[in-house]
Amino acid sequence: MNFRRHLTEDDTLEARMGGAVVARLNQSAASLPHDVSERLRAGREQALARARLKPAVAARLAPAATPLLAGRTSQAALLMAGAPSWRVKLASGLPLLVLIAGLVLIEHWNTQQQVHAAAEIDALLLADDLPPAAYADPGFGEFLRSASPEQP
Amino acid sequence: MGRLGAAPALATEKELSDFLKSVERRAYKRTLYAVRDGDAAMDVVQDSMIRLAEKYVDRPVSEYPMLFQRILSNATMDWFRRQKVRNAVMTNMSDFDPGNEDGEFDLLETLQALEGSSAAESAADQVSRSQILRLIDDAVAKLPDRQREAFLLRYWEEFDVAETAAVMGCSEGSVKTHCSRAVHALAKALQAKGISP
Repeated sequence: MNFRRHLTEDDTLEARMGGAVVARLNQSAASLPHDVSERLRAGREQALARARLKPAVAARLAPAATPLLAGRTSQAALLMAGAPSWRVKLASGLPLLVLIAGLVLIEHWNTQQQVHAAAEIDALLLADDLPPAAYADPGFGEFLRSASPEQP
Repeated sequence: MGRLGAAPALATEKELSDFLKSVERRAYKRTLYAVRDGDAAMDVVQDSMIRLAEKYVDRPVSEYPMLFQRILSNATMDWFRRQKVRNAVMTNMSDFDPGNEDGEFDLLETLQALEGSSAAESAADQVSRSQILRLIDDAVAKLPDRQREAFLLRYWEEFDVAETAAVMGCSEGSVKTHCSRAVHALAKALQAKGISP
């Protein structure tokens, strides 16, 4: 209990001492040289000018954008405003178109390749001495299977 | 339309103006204690005022004191960084005075002297008054940085312990310790300079 009271008294003394010093510091701050006060005032006004600028810029920009988009300005202005948007859309869509066209070409080329390969096989079969019907014969098939290991 | 848009801006501007007017001198003195150069202190304070106005003008005015003190502390640190003496500053910041055995009689005697001289101030001539102010200024300036910051925030800016801790980025216990040590160091220094009965 005594210890706590001692602490409280210490705190009170410190607070009184702090208050007394601060009172003198306030006097000291109040008697700053004139040029310092003026420079502080100039700094404050500069800061206020910046603060004034911030909402003013936002307020100025907001009504300027709205009528432009709402079509209340001249047609030329609208065209000028729309032109970049078209170009942007076109520019962003162009790579997709090129990609689709490329895929279609690749598919077409692949199909042509398969047709050519099939035609070549057919031509070879038809031009061969062996009739195509021989490949459907089970005996010929067995002959081929038994003959193939000996050939190399 | 102009009236509707301008009304809140003007109110905010007035609040900001009043706030800056109320803190600018203390901010200058506090910064001067830290950087020990009048022009640099002025730059730091002006920069802090502009930062507050640019970034926090739409915040409630009740938040301004804390915000401004944080901005001021950061701007002061930025100045030290630019001066490439941050290491020296950090050394000073960690320079805690291990001797905390000042008896309370020192504090009480110095307090009585301060309060007594304040009461007798009207009788004192201007020279001795300015001398006392300068001695107190010097004593505050010579405090270790963290102690001085805690003391000035607590007693001059009238922040509570939690707010001071938030601005300084330390615990509330550290704030109490810094403040207590600062007060005792001031009492000791002022007594040594003859501001005693």
